[in-house]
Amino acid sequence: MPLPKFDYLEPKTVQEAADLLAEHGEEARIFAGGTDLLVLMRERVIRPKYLIDIKGIEELCELSHDEEKGIKIGAAVTLNQLIESDVVRERFGALWNAANSIADPTLRNRATLVGNICNASPAADSAPALLIYDAEVEVASKRGERTIPVQEFFTGVKHTSLKRGEVVKAVRVPNPPRGARGDYLKWGRTRGEDLAVVGVAALAANSGKIVRVALSSVFKTPVRVFEVEKIFEKGGPTNERIDEAVSAVLNRISPISDVRGGKEYRMHMTEVLTRRALSKLLGVGGD
Amino acid sequence: MSRHKISFSVNGERYELEVEANQTLLRLLREDLGMTGTKCACERGDCGTCTVLLDGEPVKSCLVLAVEADGRGVTTIEGISKGGEITPLQRAFIEHGAVQCGFCTPAFIVAGEALLKRNPHPTEEEVKEAIGGILCRCTGYRQIIDAIMDASKKGEK
Ligand SMILES: Cc1cc2nc3c(=O)[nH]c(=O)nc-3n(C[C@H](O)[C@H](O)[C@H](O)COP(=O)(O)OP(=O)(O)OC[C@H]3O[C@@H](n4cnc5c(N)ncnc54)[C@H](O)[C@@H]3O)c2cc1C
Ligand code: FES
Ligand code: FES
Repeated sequence: MPLPKFDYLEPKTVQEAADLLAEHGEEARIFAGGTDLLVLMRERVIRPKYLIDIKGIEELCELSHDEEKGIKIGAAVTLNQLIESDVVRERFGALWNAANSIADPTLRNRATLVGNICNASPAADSAPALLIYDAEVEVASKRGERTIPVQEFFTGVKHTSLKRGEVVKAVRVPNPPRGARGDYLKWGRTRGEDLAVVGVAALAANSGKIVRVALSSVFKTPVRVFEVEKIFEKGGPTNERIDEAVSAVLNRISPISDVRGGKEYRMHMTEVLTRRALSKLLGVGGD
Repeated sequence: MSRHKISFSVNGERYELEVEANQTLLRLLREDLGMTGTKCACERGDCGTCTVLLDGEPVKSCLVLAVEADGRGVTTIEGISKGGEITPLQRAFIEHGAVQCGFCTPAFIVAGEALLKRNPHPTEEEVKEAIGGILCRCTGYRQIIDAIMDASKKGEK
């Protein structure tokens, strides 16, 4: 079936994109890699009258690293560009692994990180990593600019705290604590090209005093489990703290049953993956 | 609906055309330019049989708008062999029986050529990763992986 009809718009600046969004309101959609958008349009789930392609906006193509501020990922940066970055691979391991777990390399030549979070699927694979790294979302509209902590970005299934007329310019990810190691473990039905049954991002630093865990596909939004952090701050034998952390995670999530797995299976795999991720990062015997 | 004048090349040949906004690159190639080597199946990014190279990088052309090809170069299966000679990769596909019904073959050749250009000596893992977005319902992939590995070894000599 052909795509429904629309006008294709090509702003050259963020200002122009914001003006177009203000002018066309709900009838317009930002078009980045199109890997979510075009699929939904073909299935007639959404029928925007205007597509605003942001890939021609130079400012949004920026992927940079700053020793003070961390990395900045422009809205037009593809997942493959992110994967090719040495800084991301070496210092933001959870994000790098997450990007590698999305779809397949061909799709990643088009799909963007910002598109992944704006689509706001509970299964968005990049989201747990952004949550544990305390990322921030830079947003512009005709009214001005603002920054949204990623913790406040996801508000429900396919819902974000973006307001009408707002376009995401970039995601900023501050440098993780010194010596931090991060990982993202994704459990799917197949090794590639499927959304997660559950995904677990974890980070450990400061000899196991700083530990963070966030998950995809097991709650109505991607979710960071802050209770885990308190458990590790207070110290004690690592194995016991991992057990407590696993319980805290299971208490926090509420997975649904769908084609990818039942609720019970999701609970079980969450336990397995959380334990596996933490055991590996904290250097103790896992399963 | 908006219409757009685009100027782009397919397999080295230049085209100046007018396309409608909702035209995909896949349909432009198959329906307007008559290049039916690139296959159309799911049209939702799942199967990969529509894979072409856009400025040398593999993309799924069902999820690329025709207007986005403006000013760029597209390579399809029709442009892979040069001067009537098949490439070592194409020969390896024949030798390994990596073609059964053939529906997926153009995509695997196009993606395989792009991989070998970027990484002439891939490991088996790298081959599997690179073709991970393309489905084959016939071969079970073994022959396809062997063919790409074999072509990469032949390039070594
Ligand atoms: C075959 C296939 C496999 C997939 N596998 C996975 C997977 O394993 N894991 C996963 O998480 N996802 C997966 N996806 C979903 C999708 O590829 C990703 O979510 C991708 O990162 C989306 O990015 P995009 O640039 O293509 O977004 P687009 O489709 O361009 O946009 C997605 C949404 O975000 C909005 N948007 C985009 N950019 C902005 C912006 N700057 N400001 C405001 N709104 C914006 C758009 O309007 C749209 O609503 C898959 C999709 C397909 C087709
Ligand atoms: S037709 Fe494009 S991925 Fe299936
Ligand atoms: S040979 Fe038939 S689908 Fe691959």
